[in-house]
This record gives sequence, structure tokens and C-alpha cells, in this order.
Amino acid sequence: MPLNNTNIVSAAQTKFGALNGVSLREIFSEAVDKATIEAGVPKKDIQAAFIGTFIPEMLVHQGHTAPLLLDFAGLKGIPATRHEAACASGATALRAAIMAIESGMYDTVLVAGAEKMTSSTTNKVTEALAAAADDQFESSIGLTFPGVFGIAAVAHMQKYGTTEEDMARVAVKAHKNASTNPLAQFQKEITLEKAMTPRYIAWPLKLFDCSPISDGGAALVLTSNEKAKQYTDLPVKITGTGQASASMNLCDRDDLTSFSASVDASRQAYKMAGLEAKDMDFAVVHDCFTIAEIIASEDIGFFKHGEGARAVHDGITALDGDKPINPMGGLKGVGHPVGATGVKQAVVLYRELIGDAGPNQVSNHDTAVMHNFGGTGATCVVNVMRRADV
Amino acid sequence: MSEKPTIEEYLQNIQDGQFKAYKCVDCGMVIAPPSGSCYGCGSSNMEWTEVSGKGKLVSFTVIHIAPDEFVEETPYYIAIVELAEGTRVSARLLGYDPLKPEEVKLGSDVKMEFETIESGKKYLAFRPT
Repeated sequence: MPLNNTNIVSAAQTKFGALNGVSLREIFSEAVDKATIEAGVPKKDIQAAFIGTFIPEMLVHQGHTAPLLLDFAGLKGIPATRHEAACASGATALRAAIMAIESGMYDTVLVAGAEKMTSSTTNKVTEALAAAADDQFESSIGLTFPGVFGIAAVAHMQKYGTTEEDMARVAVKAHKNASTNPLAQFQKEITLEKAMTPRYIAWPLKLFDCSPISDGGAALVLTSNEKAKQYTDLPVKITGTGQASASMNLCDRDDLTSFSASVDASRQAYKMAGLEAKDMDFAVVHDCFTIAEIIASEDIGFFKHGEGARAVHDGITALDGDKPINPMGGLKGVGHPVGATGVKQAVVLYRELIGDAGPNQVSNHDTAVMHNFGGTGATCVVNVMRRADV
Repeated sequence: MSEKPTIEEYLQNIQDGQFKAYKCVDCGMVIAPPSGSCYGCGSSNMEWTEVSGKGKLVSFTVIHIAPDEFVEETPYYIAIVELAEGTRVSARLLGYDPLKPEEVKLGSDVKMEFETIESGKKYLAFRPT
């Protein structure tokens, strides 16, 4: 049965990028203000908060972030819990909020995520991100996060003939879409030649295959059907949600060319929504690396396994293609403040579905899917959303 | 029955230049790196087992940008190897030029050894046969 009581009534993100001189709580609070008071939702209406942050303990030496962030954002007192699932932290927070509304426990809740990453050195950030992989068995031998996706890329290249140029095309598309998104970290198109610059991070992944280190925040307000009318005439309904886990270790997986948690979570979400991949007008997927977008586009059922690279090449996933993917620029173009990312993906779905995406508006925007993926793919959350008037 | 194996011993064995896998007492499945429950039958009864050290290369990457701890070792290979006993491990890959990864062929036969770095730390490693 599709979910029928969860509505997004407002959604916003801060600018993503190197937000110099602005700390984690200030970033968080800006996102919350944009999604509440600036969107006509009084803060006093919020009954509970679900917060995504990944690893502020290592990045800014701060744990127990949920009450800290809520207090600064003027929401002290309400239940506030932090959800951590590496890069899927934001979407696991969202899923908990969906369950809170569907259970009838609350009518109006906040979902928000934020991360402050650029105040640390690149090596420190690499070390922090590596904590999202298995420390005792993989990180400790020197496997990095880009390395995890390098291994997946090599396997995909071998099995399906995917090339470094195919991956570079994903980066070109991401930068093109981000170039018209004022909240994106990168607002400049890049050529295929530039995307192919051989500055290797983890072969075959090069600098332009990797999402950047970013600061940023994002927030949503979710309500029940009854309360939604108070805030908007056009909410977005979350009709299906799925979540799955897989081994942290890459070495414990039978297939390195697909992520089982993505396949499982998307099946659950489509089934709950009573829809199929072909019913989706567009997708927002977790393109932490270019190969990750290609594999995700296959795992969520947009293309057959092995055909994701071809789809990018043929423009099918472009903003004006038949199946746009990451129409506002994805993690690659917009940035990847880890705890904010899953929430920001829902912000993109909301804006596209209600027709508020400006130059990044996709032409068909009734129904869409978001795919947020944690760490080495050990957690994946997929949500299906529809505009309420569909 | 032998004493229950631990992760600490598994990792120490590698530092001592030897390798032992877990083996499910109930169904015989060989498991490495360690798991608290058998992927085959779900049992948590484990014992140590020796392995042949022979394997096949499943996939790999070459790390160029690494955390501080590994910076001096870059560029280096990390590979996924399937042992003859059926389990897969992550390890260093030796015997190939890290600047010519296009010459590495997946499916190649490899043999287990250990890489010792300057600090004396050892990594589980494989080299083509």
C-alpha cells in the first residue's frame, strides 16, 4: 500500500561549497530558517526533529549534534535525534520522520542535515570519510573512499566495457546542470577534455570523477495530510520508501558492478508506491563518484545492467533527456556536505516536482525517485515521491 | 573443538607473516576476513583453518591520494582477491607498476605473500604467479 499521509510542505538548502567563516550550527540554522519561517511554517509548529550529520566528531570535534543544532536554530526543547549512516545519514533521518508521521505520533516534523568539512585538510577529510568503510579489514590496509569506487569502476569496465570517457561524461553533465544552479559549489561548465585530465585520485577515478569536499545544510518540513493545507496548496507526497543494508567490506560482495542495497531499497520503494521504474519521470541519485551515478542508474531500474554508460552518452539522462538524472547538478556539481546530502536530494525532488526548479526544471515532473547511498554502499535509502495533485 | 578465533589474532597473524582464515565448524565454509556468523549456514561456531594462498584477481584500484598514514606509500594497489577456498579478501597487490594499471588483467592467478613497509608493519598482499 502506498504511504498516504506524508507530505513535504517546504524544502530548502543553503549554498553548498567552502562556506568560510561559517560554522556547522550556523549552516544548519540557515537551512532551517529557509524551510520554516521563510516558507511560512512557524517554528512553534514543529513537534520533533530528525537530524542527519555524518562525522562532526572528526571534522569539527563535536558530537551529540541534534540538541546542539536545534538549540541554535531556535527549536530547543522538542525531541531531536541524530541519524548517522555515512553519506545516507540525511535520508535515514528522512525515513525516520516518514515513520513518525505515518504512525500518527506527530503531525509536523523537521528533517535537516548539515556538515562542515572544508575547515579540515584534504587528508583529514579523507581519513574521516574512510571511517565509513570497514576500518579493521579495509581502511587499515590503505583503501580509501575513492578507492572503493575505483574498485567498482574497474569491475564495471571489465564486465561491461565502460570507459574512463563514459565516466567523464557524467561529470560534464553534472557541471552543466550545476552551472545554472546558484546554490551549487561549481557553477562552471567543463569540457570532456578537462574532465579527462589525468589527475588520478584512485585509478581509474580522476579529480573530476569525484564529488568535492563541501559545507552545507538542507531542511524539509513534513506534515500529515490534515496539516499540509495550512502551509501550501501543492505539497509533495512521499508514497514509497525503502532501505536496505549490505556488507561494509567490498571483499564480501559477490558482485562489484552493482550495489545490492540500492537494488533492494529501490524494489521496496517502488513496491510500496505501487509503481515501477518506468513510471518515474526523473531521478536524483547518489553520484559521490561518476561511476556511482552510472551504477545507481542501473540499480534503480532506469537502465539494464551495463547500459548506464550508454544512456549518459546518448543524452537520455541529460536535463532535456527522456530520463533526467540529477537535474540540478548532483553531488558532483552541487557539492557533498555528507550529512546534508540525503536531505538536499529530497529538496531537489520537491522543487522539481512542484515546478520550482527555474532553468533546471525537467519537463515531466509528476513522479520521481531519490537514491541516497551510504559509505561503501552498506546502507541505501530510496524514496518515491509524487506531486499531490497527480 | 579449538578455541574460538578472534579478530585480534587474525590481524596479529598477518603481522607475524602468516595467514589463517575462519572456518565454520558446522558447514565447513571458509571465511576471511572474519565474520561473527557464517554466510552459508548462520552458525557462529568458528575455528581456524589454513588456506592454500592461491587466488584470482577480482578487481583493484591504485590509490594516489591517501590519508596521512599512507601518504608515503602512494601510489599503491589495493585488490580484491578470491582465494581458491572461495572467500574474498582485500589486500595489497605487488608485482605491477602502479603507474601502468592498464596492464593488470582481472582474473589473473595470484599467490599470497606479505608486504612489509619501512615501519615494520605488514600487509596481506598478493603477487601474480
